[in-house]
Amino acid sequence: MEESVMESDPVEMSGPGPHQGVADAWETVTAALVSPGNSLSEQSLSDSLSLLCSQGLGQLLGDWLLETLQMRLSSFVVPEFWSGLKQPENELEERDRIWVLLFAFRTLLERLEPFLGGLDRLRMWQDEGRGGLCVPGAKVLQERAFTVIRALLLFSPSPVLQERVLEFYSRTLSVYMHQEGGDEDGPEVPEVPEGGVCLGCGVPTHHCWCQEALKQLQELSHILSKLQLLEWVSSEAVTSILHKLIEQRMEQHCRGEYERSFLLEFQEWLELVLGWLSKVFASEADGATSAAEVSMTLSAPSGLSSQAGQPASSILKQWRCYMHQFFCRIYVNMRIEELFSIIRDFPESKAAIEDLKFCLERTNQRQQLLTSLKSAFESRLLHPGVHTSDILTVYISAIKALRELDPSMVILQVACQPIRKYLRTREDTVRQIVAGLTGDAEGCTDLASELSRGDPVTLEMQDSDEEGNNPEDWTPDPTDAVPDKMGSKRRSSDIISLLVSIYGSKDIFIDEYRAVLADRLLHQLNYNTAREIRNVELLKLRFGESHMHYCEVMLKDMADSRRINSNIREEESRLSDEEQPPLSLSAIILSSEFWPPLKEEKLELPPLICQAMEAYTHRYEKLKAMRTLSWKPHLGSVTLDVELEDRVLTNLTVSPIHAAIILHFQEKSSWTLEELSGKLGAPKELVHRKLALWQQHGVLREEAGGRYYVVETGSSKEKLERGMMLIDSDEERDSNTTTQSEQREEKLQLFWAYIQAMLTNLDSMTLDRIHSMLRMFVATGPVVTEMDVNELEAFLQKKVREHQLMVSAGVYRLPKSN
Amino acid sequence: MKVKIKQWNGVASWLWVANDENCGICRMPFNGCCPDCKVPGDDCPLVWGQCSHCFHMHCILKWLNSQQVQQQCPMCRQEWKFKE
Repeated sequence: MEESVMESDPVEMSGPGPHQGVADAWETVTAALVSPGNSLSEQSLSDSLSLLCSQGLGQLLGDWLLETLQMRLSSFVVPEFWSGLKQPENELEERDRIWVLLFAFRTLLERLEPFLGGLDRLRMWQDEGRGGLCVPGAKVLQERAFTVIRALLLFSPSPVLQERVLEFYSRTLSVYMHQEGGDEDGPEVPEVPEGGVCLGCGVPTHHCWCQEALKQLQELSHILSKLQLLEWVSSEAVTSILHKLIEQRMEQHCRGEYERSFLLEFQEWLELVLGWLSKVFASEADGATSAAEVSMTLSAPSGLSSQAGQPASSILKQWRCYMHQFFCRIYVNMRIEELFSIIRDFPESKAAIEDLKFCLERTNQRQQLLTSLKSAFESRLLHPGVHTSDILTVYISAIKALRELDPSMVILQVACQPIRKYLRTREDTVRQIVAGLTGDAEGCTDLASELSRGDPVTLEMQDSDEEGNNPEDWTPDPTDAVPDKMGSKRRSSDIISLLVSIYGSKDIFIDEYRAVLADRLLHQLNYNTAREIRNVELLKLRFGESHMHYCEVMLKDMADSRRINSNIREEESRLSDEEQPPLSLSAIILSSEFWPPLKEEKLELPPLICQAMEAYTHRYEKLKAMRTLSWKPHLGSVTLDVELEDRVLTNLTVSPIHAAIILHFQEKSSWTLEELSGKLGAPKELVHRKLALWQQHGVLREEAGGRYYVVETGSSKEKLERGMMLIDSDEERDSNTTTQSEQREEKLQLFWAYIQAMLTNLDSMTLDRIHSMLRMFVATGPVVTEMDVNELEAFLQKKVREHQLMVSAGVYRLPKSN
Repeated sequence: MKVKIKQWNGVASWLWVANDENCGICRMPFNGCCPDCKVPGDDCPLVWGQCSHCFHMHCILKWLNSQQVQQQCPMCRQEWKFKE
């Protein structure tokens, strides 16, 4: 470009003759290009043009124009623009600042207008074919001109421009939204009281400049689009405004609000914002653009690569996409943060889950969701301060919520892994789940209703690969699925099977259920088992008939007991009055092999009771040949009245040991703990604990020396004291069955015998070896139990601590006997 | 003080009066049932032979049916006769 100018100069300067004519013609043409107001006649212009063209100088016109533009820009226009923008250093009103911004752009346009006009004319001439003018690539030239403008103007933009543009756009947006929003509410913009503040422009109403702002916006858009600076100047500001706006609105409307769907609402609102965007970006196609440009856009809308050439609607379309993208992203971010609460509130929060599902499909944030949810679980749920039943409740909610969110169950599987792992470490997990299943637990009634829900997926069913699904419906797992041998088919969403599979085996649950069932049955006063029968039937559907067989026998025992009792009653009623038994005894008769191991406690009942039991046994033996009864004296319940001198306690229901204690006090009004303990054959601590109940009732009183006395006459003072005694009482309902850990311990003791024998024979063994040997032996032994290596290791470590075992370099051996 | 017992609900477990714990044929506890049965007690009774050995009724019947020549007690090889 530089060269071409150098070339043209000597042509101009080289004296008179034809050269002089060329120089004049050059002057004429260039003057006509940049200042059209000239009184130059069309004829002379055409002449000059054809002269220049004949000299081969026509092509240089374009270069000259660009060169001049560049010089002018860098030397004058750009510095003027920036200084104009920055000029008012002191504090200004917002309106004034906007004015300055607009003014700077206006001046810029004014300065550049001649050149842009020149470019247009140059092309026009060429199109008209004046004087055979042929400028190669006139369209390219125009693009280059705009590139030059952009490059020089925005080469080192001052932050002040962005600030001002941002401010201006924010203002016009709020004006626009206010106006449009107002129109939505009613036909008229609500009348703002005198002296109030206009919600659009934020100044008192009588100074309202809303309309002015909108006009200014239109003007600015025109100028920018004319200079093809719109995208460059506005995009950043618009983006950040939209971002802020959506975020703000979401904070206000959606945070903590899970019961409503916001998608539609936001959709409408976004359309409203889009209206404002169209004001910012759409001025392009308005009359402000030059005719040439319009024709260009119309004739070849798709062939143009430049931004400015695109129809406004496609820009708007783009922005709509951006906006939805913003919205989804911001929404997902917020909901991810809140997911724990959303899950806790499920199913009330179903709307939020559905919204999240919709948005999550459009943003790639599953990983973020997983990480955040996992850590939320860990920090808010999985610590010792949370009750197991609460963890289970949240887990159940999570199952329900996440299966809505992600039907492939991958999120559920991955995010809940920590919960499952943690629950495995809690001792009462199984008991809580079983309690939930039978509807005993406070709080989690979900499980009971889940159990009674129709069409249960039995655990048996899931083991089979056969599924009636259409192969066409198959969808691949999401990429974040945990690769495991289970495959997607087995990724269950059934709450009960998920809970049961925490331990990997259902036997442990069935054992626990048996224990719970035994407890419930033994605490029954009547033989009413309707509810238990229903539960067992439901569980049978889940776990299969064979697993629930023991429970069925237990229930049958109850029914049999009832029959035997009424038989014996009938027999007794036929006896004469003298022979009538002194107390009415009924019994629950168990098939010992089918009940869970019951706690063995020693208790010697008063002779009266023992006699009654013997009599009962005799009658039973008569009823059932070759069978006898073995009583569990400590189990059962007793209903009795206590008559004292001044008061009567009626219909107390207590345990046999309580009854035995109070019966002893009938013979002798004072006992020491030792005497009682000896008489009952029960440990002192136990007797002491049981005495508390009678103290609480105010029947017994402890005095110095550890003697207990009957309180024949109660006074109000003692009643007060009784209140204090509550702490000491033994109200907690004891379980009749041995606990899980006790049973476990017994089984491990059995292993110990095996381990000792193995080590005696083989001298030393590694952990793995012991484990595999045990599996081999014990599988055929009396107790089939699942035991993993870790448990075995813990057990062996315990033995090491007790000096019953030695370990070195991972090899276990028995200590040398001396 | 007087204590009046209105009702005593005891708990007991039943058991066969037998001189062994497990059935010599199926090795299951007498108080349980034979492998073919689900419910113990009346539905799966014990029988005694004159040799004083006892088995689940179902077990010894199956055994006796499988013996072609002579019906012997599987424990002592004496001739099997039900004890009346």
